Amino acid sequence: MIAIYLCTVIAVYAALRIIAERNTMRKLPFVNVISFAVTAIIALLLPHPLTILAAAAFFVGSTFESNAIASTWSGGMKRNG
Amino acid sequence: MDEIVMAAAAILILIGMTAAIFSRDPFDKLISLSILIAGVFPFIVNRGLLDVAIALALIAPLSTVFILMACQRRAP
Repeated sequence: MIAIYLCTVIAVYAALRIIAERNTMRKLPFVNVISFAVTAIIALLLPHPLTILAAAAFFVGSTFESNAIASTWSGGMKRNG
Repeated sequence: MDEIVMAAAAILILIGMTAAIFSRDPFDKLISLSILIAGVFPFIVNRGLLDVAIALALIAPLSTVFILMACQRRAP
């Protein structure tokens, strides 16, 4: 039972760090921290065999989302010539 | 046990909502929107709607990518 509480504390702390941070580039790692913590919450919340599939789908989706935001913010691919 | 976790998810939703309202930069708004979507998921899983959670986890990043196409930085 202590693991899910620890994951909730990590998620809320990372959300507060995102609020407090001014620079956009420093906000982006904490989005990944929130996605990891919420993945752990989903996996630990229900004892059902389909829960791990939902957690894996959320992990893939949120990592894709935060990396898309980061690569668009940094300017995308640079083309020479 | 579930009440504390659900209260933390509600705090996550409220933090994402207020940050999405008061931030100026569109990338900050997208980051706040991703916090809000992450806070919605424990409520869906808590009711046992796991197929809805799987479909939403695969569809929700697509909306973010479509908004990113709109606010992409153009080369001058």
